[in-house]
Amino acid sequence: MSILFYIGALLIVIGALCDFFGALGLLRFPNFYVRLHAATVGIIGGAAVPLFGVALLALGADFLPHRYAIAGASFITGIIVLLASPAGSHALAYAAHRAKLVEWEPKVDHLGEVRKSD
Amino acid sequence: MSLESQFFLLMKFVIPVYLLAFIIYAVRAFKGPTIADIILAVDCLSFDVAAFMAILAVYFKSVYLVSGAMILALWGYLLDIYIAKHLVSKEVGA
Repeated sequence: MSILFYIGALLIVIGALCDFFGALGLLRFPNFYVRLHAATVGIIGGAAVPLFGVALLALGADFLPHRYAIAGASFITGIIVLLASPAGSHALAYAAHRAKLVEWEPKVDHLGEVRKSD
Repeated sequence: MSLESQFFLLMKFVIPVYLLAFIIYAVRAFKGPTIADIILAVDCLSFDVAAFMAILAVYFKSVYLVSGAMILALWGYLLDIYIAKHLVSKEVGA
């Protein structure tokens, strides 16, 4: 059973590194639409991957009381993050474009062209 | 070396990385130029605190922390949707 423990530990380490680089990108990138990319690295790589890692690690850990409850709940939380975060980011990007909050220099603006031709 | 001491050795390296990432997200949330930047940073912060609470549930051997993580993930999604609705139509509505 300890192979599950080591796979989970590897996923937690990958998640911590992705979280750190996503945070660094969110601080350093120039405008909102570029920062969305770093936020995806920080959420999917930094929250969903370590949640699945905690699920596998808790299944393989013999020292943990209630390990099946912790594993199941963190697996469900990982699926919630995997489904909810892209929908929320997409809604936020659409709202920022619609309310003209961000100043930027677009090369291609397909949404603006479609709205102009309607 | 037992599995428990290996886990605590791993946590000595993982927890400082997470705390550093939380601090950097908080800097962007405080100084973000537009509302969308602030909401995006708070969103990342809430999802990452959810993952960190699942790790702390194994660290402290407590099952109650994971239910809080699930609620926190759902709350981050609600924050996104309500702010986007308010920015598009200037009202929250139903």
